[in-house]
Amino acid sequence: MLVAGVGILAAFVILAFMAPYAAPYDPIFQDGTARLMAPSPAHPFGTDNFGRDVLSRVVWGARIDLQMAVIGVVFPFLIGTVVGTLAGFFGGWVDVMFMRIIDVVLAFPFLVLMLSIISILGPGLSSFYIAMALVGWVSYARLIRAQILVLKTQDFAVAAASLGFSRTRIMFRHLLPNALAGSLVFVMSDAVLVLLSGASISYLGLGVQPPLAEWGVMVAEAQGFMTQAWWITLFPGLAIVVLAFGFSLTGDALADLMGVRE
Amino acid sequence: MIRNWTKAALLGLALSTTAVAYAEAQGVLTIGRREDGTTFDPIATAQNIDFWVLSNVFDVLVRVDNKGEALVPGIAKSWDISPDGLTYTFLLRPAKFSDGTDLTAADVAYSLTRIRDNELSLWSDSYKIIKDMQTPDANTLVITLSGPSAPFLSTLAMPGASIVSKAAMEAMGEEAFAEMPVGSGAFMVDEWRRGDRVILKKNPNYWDADKVSLDGVEWRSIPDDNTRMLAVQAGELDAAIYVPFSRVDELKMDANLSVVADPSTREDHLLLNHSHPGLDNAKVREAIDYAIDKKAIVEAVTFNLGEIANSYIPKGALYHSDDNGARGFDPEKAKALLAEANVGPLSLTYLVDAGDQTAEQIAILVQQQLAAVGITVTLQKVDPSQTWDMLISGDYDMGVNYWTNDILDPDQKTTFVLGHDVNNNYMTNYKNDVVKDMVAAARLEMDPTKRAVLYAEIQKQAKSDVHWIDLYYSPFISVTRKGVENFGQNPLGRFWLEQTTKNY
Repeated sequence: MLVAGVGILAAFVILAFMAPYAAPYDPIFQDGTARLMAPSPAHPFGTDNFGRDVLSRVVWGARIDLQMAVIGVVFPFLIGTVVGTLAGFFGGWVDVMFMRIIDVVLAFPFLVLMLSIISILGPGLSSFYIAMALVGWVSYARLIRAQILVLKTQDFAVAAASLGFSRTRIMFRHLLPNALAGSLVFVMSDAVLVLLSGASISYLGLGVQPPLAEWGVMVAEAQGFMTQAWWITLFPGLAIVVLAFGFSLTGDALADLMGVRE
Repeated sequence: MIRNWTKAALLGLALSTTAVAYAEAQGVLTIGRREDGTTFDPIATAQNIDFWVLSNVFDVLVRVDNKGEALVPGIAKSWDISPDGLTYTFLLRPAKFSDGTDLTAADVAYSLTRIRDNELSLWSDSYKIIKDMQTPDANTLVITLSGPSAPFLSTLAMPGASIVSKAAMEAMGEEAFAEMPVGSGAFMVDEWRRGDRVILKKNPNYWDADKVSLDGVEWRSIPDDNTRMLAVQAGELDAAIYVPFSRVDELKMDANLSVVADPSTREDHLLLNHSHPGLDNAKVREAIDYAIDKKAIVEAVTFNLGEIANSYIPKGALYHSDDNGARGFDPEKAKALLAEANVGPLSLTYLVDAGDQTAEQIAILVQQQLAAVGITVTLQKVDPSQTWDMLISGDYDMGVNYWTNDILDPDQKTTFVLGHDVNNNYMTNYKNDVVKDMVAAARLEMDPTKRAVLYAEIQKQAKSDVHWIDLYYSPFISVTRKGVENFGQNPLGRFWLEQTTKNY
C-alpha cells in the first residue's frame, strides 16, 4: 500500500516538475481551429471549448493542485502543532483560551468559514492559503493536545523534568516527537480534504483565476459542455480522484507503519 | 361474465382517469427559465425576468408587433397625433380587468401618472414629458406633452407602462398588488410560489379571450442550464428559455423537440472606463478594438449563432447603420496604435460576474487576444450582486455587459449610452458634447428621414470615439416540445403566449 501510495504521489510530483517537457502544448494557447475536439492522437485528452489541449492543462494543473495540497496542509500543521503542544503542556488558562478559540472555529461549518474569509480577502490562491491556515489548524491542535496530555504524565517526561531540563526542551524534544505520529497520518487525509476544497473553491470561481489551469477550474468551466464533450470534465476529474487516492493510500500505510491504529 | 364486467369497468375507469389527466395537462404550458421574478408591479422593475412574465398579465396602450418592426393597437384601438406633435388622443377598446371590472381611460391615466410620479418608479425620466392627461369619456384619453418627442409613442409600449387597475391597486395597496396583480392581459396570476414558480391561468375577461388557446402558463425556475434542458428532453417541461448556445445543435437532433431562434435586440459589449489612465486615450481604446477578434468570440461563445456587432443599435432595429466605420481584427495595427499612444505597458482589470459562463468565456478569449498585443488583463471574478455597484462607482477598467431594448425607438438606449445621462453614459464616463447634442436633437426630430441621418452620424462618431466595444448580436433561443406551436418572443423579448397552442 505504501509503495502504491508513494508511487502515485511521486508520479504526480515528477509530472509537475516536468510539466514544460511533459505537456505537448502550451496550456493556455487557444487554437480557434481545434475547438471541442474529441480525444485523438494529436490531442490524447481532446481539446476544450477554446481549443486548448486538455492533456497539457491537466499536466500543468498538477503543479497548482500539488502546491495547493502541500501549502494548504503545512501551515495548519505548523500552527496546530505549536498551539496543541502549548495548550497540552501548560494547561490552565492557556489551555482554556486556545480550546475556546477552537470551539468558536469549529462552531462554523468548514466551507462557510472558508468562503467568508475568501470573500473578505478577495478571490485568489493566496486568499485560499490564508483561509486554510486560519481554519485548518484546529484539528491538528486538538490531536497534539490530546497526545501531550497523556505523554506529560508518563515516567520519561517526569524524569526529564526532575533532571531540570527546561520546559521548552521537554515540550519539543521529549514530548512532541512522540505525539507527532497521529498528526502525520492525519496530514495525508487532510491533504485530500485540502485538495478537494481547493478544487471546490476554484470551481466556485474564488480560487485559481483563469486562464491558469487547475483541475477544479477545468471541471467548472467544462460543466456546460458535459453532454457533448465529456473529455473536458472527465480527465481533470480523474486527476483529482487519483491524486486524492494517492494521499489516502499513503496515509493508510503510514498509520499501519507507525502503529497509530492500535 | 361478471369477471369480464369488472374488467370492463376497470378499463373504463382507467380510460376515464387518463382522459381527465390528458385534458388537464393539455392546456397548461410549462416554461423553464433561469430565475424567478421579483415583482408584478410594472413600474418597479427594469429586469427582463419580470417584464417577460408581466407583459402577459397586463396590457399596454400600444403594442410592438411580433417582428419588432411596428407599433400596433393594444388597449388603444386607434390614436391620433396633433400636427404640432404635442397632443395624443387615444380611443380605447372596450376591455375588462381580470376581476371583471371595466378598464377605463382613468385607469390608463392612473398607470401613466404612477410611472411618472411614483417614487417606486424606475422609469420616471422617460415619462416626465407628459404634461397633462384628460379623460373626456371612459374610452378616450388625451395626453398633452410639454414638447414634441419622437420616441413617445414607443415608450407607451414599454412593459413598465402597463395598465393596472386603479381600484384594485388602491384597495390592495402597492405591496399586495405586486404579488397578486389585477391586469387586463391574456393571463392572470393564479399562484406565485416565490423562488419556484409563477402559475398563470387564462383570464376569461381578456378582450380577445376567444383566441387564447392555452388554459394557463407555468413559469418554473430551474437555474442550472443542463438540468433545464434535460427537463424539456424528458418531457417534464413544454418549453425552456435561455438555451445555451453550445446545446443548440444537439437539441436540434432530438426528434421530440423544436429549437426556436427569434431575432433579438440583445447586444453584448465590452465596457471601457474612460476615466482611468490609459483608457482615457482614444488611441488605446482603438487599439483594444482592433485587437479583439470578434469573429473568434462569435464562434467560440455563440457557436456561430450570433453575429459580429458593429453598432450599439442592434441589426434589424430602427435606425441601425452599417456604415459607421466599424474596425476589423488587426493585431498589428493595434500594436502600432499602442506604440503611438506611448502609454507604457498596460495592465487592466476585467470585471466578470462569477458563475456567468458566457461572460467568463468572453473574458478568457479577450484576455488572450489582448495579451497578444501586449496588454495584460487580470480577470476579477466578483459576485453578480456586487458587479453592478462596482460598475456604477467606476471601480473597474473593463467588463462585459449586455443590453436588450425595452422600446422600439433607439432613443432610450442612445440616451443611456451616449446622451450624458445621470449614469455617466452607462458607467463608461464617455464624454463628447457634440454627440450629446445630436442625441437631444434626434429625440425632437419628428421627420424619420432626418432622424435616420442624425442616428447614422451619432453611430459614426460614437464608434470613432470607441465609447465601448461592440462584440456580438445574438438571438433569443428557446426550445419546445414538438406540438407546441407559435411559441416565441419579439425582438424586445415579449412572448406572444396569447397565440401559442399546445397540441398534445
